[in-house]
Amino acid sequence: MKKSSILGIVIIAIAICIIISTYADTSTYGSFNEAKNTHSELHVVGHLNKDKQLIYDAKKDANYFSFFMKDNKGEECKIVFTGTKPQDFERSEQIVLTGQMVGNEFHASKILMKCPSKYTQDKVEVTEANATKQASI
Amino acid sequence: MDIQFKGEHLLPGQLGQLFIILAFGSALFSAISYYFATVNKNQLDNSWKKMARYGYFINTLSVVGIGACLFYIIYTNLFEYHYAWAHSSRTLPVYYIISSYWDGQEGSFWLWGFWQAVLGNILIWKAKSWESPVMAVVALSQAFITSMLIGVEMFGTRIGSSPFILLRNAVEGPIFSRPDYLTYIKDGNGLNPLLQNYWMIIHPPTLFLGFASMVVPFAYAIAGLWQRRYKDWIKPAISYSLFAVMVLGTGIIMGSFWAYESLNFGGFWAWDPVENASFIPWLTLIGGVHVLIVYKNTGHSYFTAAFLVIISFILVLYASFLTRSGILGNTSVHAFTDLGMSGQLLVFMFAFIAISVWLLVTRWKEMPITKKDEETYSREFWMFVGAVFLALSCLQLVIVTSIPVWNAIFGTKTAPPTEPVKLYNIVQSSFAVVITLLMGFAQFLKYKRSDATTFLIRSMVYLVFAALISGIIIWASGLYHTHLVYMLVIFGSVYAVLANTKYLADIFKGKTKLVGSAVAHIGFALLLVGAVISSGTSRVITINDSGVGFGTEFEKVGNSRENLRLDFNTPTKIGPYTATYVGDSLNGPNHYFKVNYKRIDDKTGKVTENFNLLPNAQANPKMGLVSSPDTRHYVFKDMYSYVSIAFPMKFQDDQTAENEGHGEANEDKAYAKPVIHEMNIGDTIRYRAGLIILKALNKDAKVRDIPLAKNDVSVGAQLEVQSNGKVFTTEPIFMIKGGNKFDFSKKVDSADLKVRFSNILPEKGKLEITTYVKPEGEKPYIVMKAIEFPSINFFWSGTIIMVIGFLLSIFRRNKELKTA
Repeated sequence: MKKSSILGIVIIAIAICIIISTYADTSTYGSFNEAKNTHSELHVVGHLNKDKQLIYDAKKDANYFSFFMKDNKGEECKIVFTGTKPQDFERSEQIVLTGQMVGNEFHASKILMKCPSKYTQDKVEVTEANATKQASI
Repeated sequence: MDIQFKGEHLLPGQLGQLFIILAFGSALFSAISYYFATVNKNQLDNSWKKMARYGYFINTLSVVGIGACLFYIIYTNLFEYHYAWAHSSRTLPVYYIISSYWDGQEGSFWLWGFWQAVLGNILIWKAKSWESPVMAVVALSQAFITSMLIGVEMFGTRIGSSPFILLRNAVEGPIFSRPDYLTYIKDGNGLNPLLQNYWMIIHPPTLFLGFASMVVPFAYAIAGLWQRRYKDWIKPAISYSLFAVMVLGTGIIMGSFWAYESLNFGGFWAWDPVENASFIPWLTLIGGVHVLIVYKNTGHSYFTAAFLVIISFILVLYASFLTRSGILGNTSVHAFTDLGMSGQLLVFMFAFIAISVWLLVTRWKEMPITKKDEETYSREFWMFVGAVFLALSCLQLVIVTSIPVWNAIFGTKTAPPTEPVKLYNIVQSSFAVVITLLMGFAQFLKYKRSDATTFLIRSMVYLVFAALISGIIIWASGLYHTHLVYMLVIFGSVYAVLANTKYLADIFKGKTKLVGSAVAHIGFALLLVGAVISSGTSRVITINDSGVGFGTEFEKVGNSRENLRLDFNTPTKIGPYTATYVGDSLNGPNHYFKVNYKRIDDKTGKVTENFNLLPNAQANPKMGLVSSPDTRHYVFKDMYSYVSIAFPMKFQDDQTAENEGHGEANEDKAYAKPVIHEMNIGDTIRYRAGLIILKALNKDAKVRDIPLAKNDVSVGAQLEVQSNGKVFTTEPIFMIKGGNKFDFSKKVDSADLKVRFSNILPEKGKLEITTYVKPEGEKPYIVMKAIEFPSINFFWSGTIIMVIGFLLSIFRRNKELKTA
């Protein structure tokens, strides 16, 4: 057999390994309900329940942040995050959590939030800004 | 409805829009003319070529014109234009106007177009017989890029997004029905504070020059296939590819330096999709350069060389689709939002894929593909293998980064890996092991055929040396705690450094002339050593082990507690340092937190090191707190720290308010209820933050500007305040003037204290001291994270060495071009 054919086979084998390992390492988007029934980490998309209290008090513990989130199916769950409260968290429109359930709490290892930021030129913010400008006339 | 709007400056925008149309038209015209110039059989007929050149020159001028108009608009604060309003503000310094060019998508497309225009002119000047076919490809790409700026509705879809769109057309709002709306738009949104950094002036242009220059080797590869000139495109393509990888590599590392210096990523590389997108084409073109050299020296691997060069540019287009179409959505923090151009970006990409595939298929049979098998003991074979491994590592990056794309195509809902950084680190390190080892032992091989025995002996000797040295490094750096693959990367990199140093030594003995490659290899290997050690053994030193928290529910969480609260003036142990938050300062929008670090020798109690770091945060009213780290650099490590929460946080707008409203009553609110103490000299008061001792009385205390008459009394109470291990002295004054009692309080801010000498009680023979103590909760604090990055300087210096290597190679390849 030619060396190049051997090399070709090796390459194909590695490529297949990459694809399989990627598939094996991917996580899933789920709901809190699904999170309760699994032991692996998953992603939950939802939004902050702004009516319930956010707990972050650096005086007590600089690494404890908890809040309530509703997932896209409407189910609510208490979230605990080991870290500081992300800036502008209250303004977030959408939150993507990575983590798993511990008892009745969802322990998030990562929080990704979408804010109606000035710098992404979101319409929501823009109209707000205009409203205040008019008020000051 | 037609409203006459007042105060708008429409000329620069209209001029700019004209330049955009002109740029697009001329690029298209130039591309078509170059096409006909290429297919024209009559060698003496230069008319197509001339027209094409004029087209390209007009394009270049128009692109410069667009830039000038945009600059004028931003510089003169014409906020009737959306771009100026969205990305600039009146307070923005002039040098950051340049940065605001790449804050928006339109500006960054302009930058790409600008570099492509420059490169096109260089090609017109230098490419000689290659000009027409190569420029046909470049001009076509230029037409696509300028089309991204058009911003006109055509056939029901909007083509591109213009930087000259007016605010009232871009944003909806009732305000825009007023003819004088501009008088209410006082200022722009301002530039994202993260971009207000000197690295952001230089990093994006470099990165985009890198992206833009990828088109040149691609164009040569296409032209080579098109014109059936399979041999002589290689040499110029090598030079341009080296240039592209050098510039793109520099741009990528500059970006990571920016991230390290001014973002709180906590590192220099986060495998963010946006970072990956710039890294992917770099990997394939590095592979491409190597296979090009193989082909040049041996005539082997033509197809792979052409394929890698072509795919690199396609991947540049794919990368811009990923980052600019909004498809990354939930997976990336800093991708652009969708401007409705994903369709256009896809057309751009598929047009070039179609051209490439068509040419590769139709020329397949004619391609100089060798039937003979390569020698095992030849350098070209192993260079080829290395390039293939680079492409495979790139494949992994593409597949994982593109998960949102797979979801969009197949309608699945797969989420990215939960620990992407770990996954990438391990997989990419595995590839790095193979690649560094190949980088090493290929140096002991010759092209075509080498003697197997000498090769095996030599490479083995160096392997043993590398094992020894890397063993020492792994032991000293503490890397043995980590994954095996990181240790193997160190081994491979050390081997690559040794082998290439040996090769370099041979060069100085006069055997060969290829200095550049050896230097670049050494640089790359050092870069890897730095990257692996610093990310593998980086250590958060602000671990909170105080045990104060929310009780046991918390201990179940596996995460470490990496943020530490520093109370004002309270020394706290951070790793080897004793850190104290000692003060604040404001400079423009930046709030600097002064944190003093002392390293105290345990035995002698002597301070061996004493320095301040000033991590800052911008309390941007629009964006909240944006923090930037400050780093203490040592030769072998960095200590990096940033503030994530601060109390109280001073906003720029508050500053003035604070200076104005300084009423006494107002101020007392900051303290708890006053406490009255009756004291004698020598008495001590205990309060929350320490002790107050009445040392003595000063019978003739003076208060400035208050003259004392004969019967007036002025007494100062000399107090010693001990708080947090510090001693302060202060002297509040009690005064009887004209029969009335006055007193002058004193504040000791660092001890959270205000004291009044409020009365003298002659009947009791005592003094009355009133204390005002700040409640504990009011004490300012910051929440900080500090990380040690060992050996990170290898990473930066490796980069510099690598760039020098690329430069040397380019010079040498250019010399070849001239002699050829």
